[in-house]
Amino acid sequence: MDEDPEVEVIIITRGGGGFLDLVGFSDEALVRAVAACKTPVISAIGHENDRPIIDDVADLRASTPTDAAKRVVPDVVDERRRISESLERMKSIISNYVSNQATLINQIRQHPLLKDPHAYLDQRADDLLRALGELRDELDSKLEKQATDLTNKKSLLRSLSPQSTLDRGYAVIRDESGQVITDPAKVTTGQALKLRVAKGDLEATAN
Amino acid sequence: MTEKNPNADVAEMTYEQARDELTKVLNQLEQGSVTLDQSMALWQRGEVLAQKCEEWLTGARAKLDAVLKKKG
Repeated sequence: MDEDPEVEVIIITRGGGGFLDLVGFSDEALVRAVAACKTPVISAIGHENDRPIIDDVADLRASTPTDAAKRVVPDVVDERRRISESLERMKSIISNYVSNQATLINQIRQHPLLKDPHAYLDQRADDLLRALGELRDELDSKLEKQATDLTNKKSLLRSLSPQSTLDRGYAVIRDESGQVITDPAKVTTGQALKLRVAKGDLEATAN
Repeated sequence: MTEKNPNADVAEMTYEQARDELTKVLNQLEQGSVTLDQSMALWQRGEVLAQKCEEWLTGARAKLDAVLKKKG
């Protein structure tokens, strides 16, 4: 039997009996055979207080044949209970998973970006408008400053120019080469002269 | 000094160039070491430069106003 792979467990059993009935289970050859067995062996010989030697080499000692059968075959009630427990655990794991995911989705939905996407854009639009306003103000004040600067330079230019003197009736007299005449001794009779007055140039001849 | 048009170069100037040139002209006039004739030329150059700057500023202002009007 030990050779047959189909055999999963070997039960050696006998009901109650006198010492002589059971002495065969202490036979050396049998005990050695059981000890060498690779297949698990359960011994169930006589009653609780019978102790044949085979009990010491068997993988398990059952007290009676009934007990041996019970130990080999799983209990139906027990198995059912285990299955239903597994089912319960499975259900609760899945239901927890689903409810966790639902909570997560709900939280994501509560995010301001999803709840009110317009607000997000509005804020960006406001930022942009403000930046544009600042840019314009900046440019405006720069232009203003340059304009003021220019006005100052212009009035300085006018105050420095000889025009105001010419306006009062003075004239600048130059020779033909454009040299300003400051000494009458240097002018010869008949020499052409250029006169500049407030509104423009005119020509004259010395006499 | 040729009266042809000594200030033709001003038309090619950028705003900054014209402004800096105007400052230079003013400095020369302020130092008072130039002849009356030179000061006349400088003054006329200054006027042309100031005109150039003014035109640039007016143009920039108009562009800015146009954008502001468009955007409301």
